[in-house]
Amino acid sequence: MTRRIEKMIRWYNSIPEEIKLVFLFVFALLILTSIIFYILDKTIHNHLTSDLIKRNNSWWKIAIGVFIIGTFPRIYGTIIVAFISFSTLREMLSISPLRASDRLAIFLCYLAVPIQFHLAYVGFYNGFIIFITLIMFIIIPIILMLSGSTKGIGRSMSIIPSILLVTVYMPSHLMMLFHLEFKDFLLGGTGLLLYVIILASFNDIFQYIWGKLLGNKKKMLPKIVPDRTYGGFLLGLISTAGLAILIRFLTPFTFWQAILLGTVIGICGFFGDALLQAIKRDLKIRDTGSVLPGHGGFLDRLDSLIIAIPIYYHIIRYIANLS
Amino acid sequence: MKRILIPLFYATLVRPWLKYIIGVRFENVKTLREAKQFIIIANHNSHFDTVSMMASLPPKHFLNTHPVAAGDYFSKTKVLDWVSKNILNTIHINRKREPGQTGQPSTIDVLNGLLKQGKSLVLFPEGSRGEPGVMSDFKSGIAVLLKRNPGLPFIPVYLVGFGRVLPKDKTLIVPLNCKVRYGESIIPDPTKSVEEILELTQDAVLSLRKRDERRYDKFAFN
Repeated sequence: MTRRIEKMIRWYNSIPEEIKLVFLFVFALLILTSIIFYILDKTIHNHLTSDLIKRNNSWWKIAIGVFIIGTFPRIYGTIIVAFISFSTLREMLSISPLRASDRLAIFLCYLAVPIQFHLAYVGFYNGFIIFITLIMFIIIPIILMLSGSTKGIGRSMSIIPSILLVTVYMPSHLMMLFHLEFKDFLLGGTGLLLYVIILASFNDIFQYIWGKLLGNKKKMLPKIVPDRTYGGFLLGLISTAGLAILIRFLTPFTFWQAILLGTVIGICGFFGDALLQAIKRDLKIRDTGSVLPGHGGFLDRLDSLIIAIPIYYHIIRYIANLS
Repeated sequence: MKRILIPLFYATLVRPWLKYIIGVRFENVKTLREAKQFIIIANHNSHFDTVSMMASLPPKHFLNTHPVAAGDYFSKTKVLDWVSKNILNTIHINRKREPGQTGQPSTIDVLNGLLKQGKSLVLFPEGSRGEPGVMSDFKSGIAVLLKRNPGLPFIPVYLVGFGRVLPKDKTLIVPLNCKVRYGESIIPDPTKSVEEILELTQDAVLSLRKRDERRYDKFAFN
């Protein structure tokens, strides 16, 4: 018993002060919003308040997930991210118009998840970079061809590898963040990971709030994301860049690097969201699943992160090589 | 021993595997909590249907609920026979009875006897698994059973997407999102005719089907 407590204290002490501060802030914010939404729901019970509570509960799940990924031994985080990636892959494949003869190729996609995350876990960069983009991209069309049915084979050959790219390859970069090394920077992957997740999440919120405050004047993509306006997008980007400077203590970046990364994450977040919306409109569905109530499926929540992660990773990899 | 082991096996292995790996979601299962004895009526596309139906049952109903399966198929090999009888709790019946055969009781009588013992049943009245996403007409046996047991409720269940996870004549199980959706239990009026009760059951199952879920039912094409 005492040994277990000792172990927990050691684990607690191993978390850097900056990370503790961020999680303290996040959990305090969540407790505050939970109380506010609970009171709101008790006094004026309607659709909006129950939706807000659902969303808030989903944010709790996300925050706890990120807490585990960031502070527990890295293997737990890798398993969690791999599982989320697997579920996203399944969600995306489930809503796609596929053929009965694609089943074996789909099965191989699922098998690729543990391999890709193993490569990310051990940090074997070359294998990690080419496993899906080269090896799986060759194997899948061959398997499809061997299945014998040629009707619609071109469509399957493009849909399945793209889904694998978006739902497995891109999120797996998150675990590669832990293998980057900077001079005089001790927070390591945890700080870098928190930075991108916080910025992408807040970018969503900023764009939403600014869009609502400015009213629906000039829409960016009226046919795809009707609630996003030019004003909301630009002010959202500026706010995200501002936040990027504010939480720079999590990273080794300079002032200008933080602005660049904040802007890039904001732009990627917007396009990630718009891309998924376009796909969903084509398939005539609202949400891709219902794992996180109020947010739809995993993919509905990850949409703004998915493109941002690999681009963020490669920019900071470049920065790491400079230093 | 079996009373503890099998529900435990489902709770610790089968259910998590179905929920988190295969992607099965159980909707509105709370209908079952209030029910005592019932007949579950579901559409049938895959062998996976039976496994998921059993996994969705709360432990108290588990050992008292029997899916009804075709004996000619499930008694083929010893392993399949053992698994279906012990793990899936199935009752094997003979689908094809010789016309002149009189020694065996009819399927309806066997099932009726089980209902009289207080057991619950899981029935797939379509008869066989059929085409994915297409519900064929129900066999009339279910209506006869309901008519003979007045006051016995039936619970309609619609299964979405199992035809893609494990289609007929395939052995590879591919994880894809699918759903077990329970409806509210209905007690049919025993004064109605067999045809009317049959229609009632069929409509109850079909009413659980949602338009935008058609895509989960079957592959776009072969």
